Amino acid sequence: MNNRLRVLRAERSWSQQDLADRLGVSRQSVNAIETGRYDPSLPLAFTIADVFGLPIEAIFSRD
Amino acid sequence: MDKATSPSRRSPWFWAGNYLASSAIIVVLKLTDAITAPVAMILFLGAMGLLIPLVRASERGDCVNPVIIRYNRRFLIASFGYVLGLGIAIAVWNSYKLTGATVFALALLPTLPTFGMIWAMGRYLVEETDEYLRYRMVRAALMSLGLVLAIGIFWGFLEMFELVPHVWSWWVLPVWAVGLGIAQVVMKVRGE
Repeated sequence: MNNRLRVLRAERSWSQQDLADRLGVSRQSVNAIETGRYDPSLPLAFTIADVFGLPIEAIFSRD
Repeated sequence: MDKATSPSRRSPWFWAGNYLASSAIIVVLKLTDAITAPVAMILFLGAMGLLIPLVRASERGDCVNPVIIRYNRRFLIASFGYVLGLGIAIAVWNSYKLTGATVFALALLPTLPTFGMIWAMGRYLVEETDEYLRYRMVRAALMSLGLVLAIGIFWGFLEMFELVPHVWSWWVLPVWAVGLGIAQVVMKVRGE
């Protein structure tokens, strides 16, 4: 799965730790999702969408 | 004394290195018969005291996970219980001729703390709210379990055909713990 996490985060000038704090997860988790090493669960994907104020499909897409 | 070098500010690696070096020295002293088993046990308990500042140092990081802190503390207490229980059990076993229920109770001394270690690992998985960290731990645990099964089955057949000596079955826990460490390294190398 592809995602635009890094771009969306950069647009808001958030560090990985900033985003992790907003999501209530570790910085390692944000890094793993951004680099495609880990696909988040549906609940976490919804939380990510809420934090960015975007629909899930605007953040995640299939390979 | 400046903050960075004061004992309370040393890195976890400093304490881990000291602990490993102390343990290695004790093992060498015991293997060369320079010290007796009870002395080795007492020295090892002393060396384990280095694990307390190690755990405290690891709790000072920037993004410390409270679940990890609880896990480390529980595991540390169980480890102390294990070494103490094992030392007492061996000392009593060597000093008295015991049978039946007493031996059963004696075997429980080192066993119960190891159940505490397993419980601590189980609680970590239950309490960890970060799904990625939980996924990593579950993955490491399964890889390690595979290692224990593979070694156990292979050794069992080697033993059956009298190629290798008998090994007590409590080895599964230390081998599993080592396997957890290997799995973490494997996942890091593979970029997972």
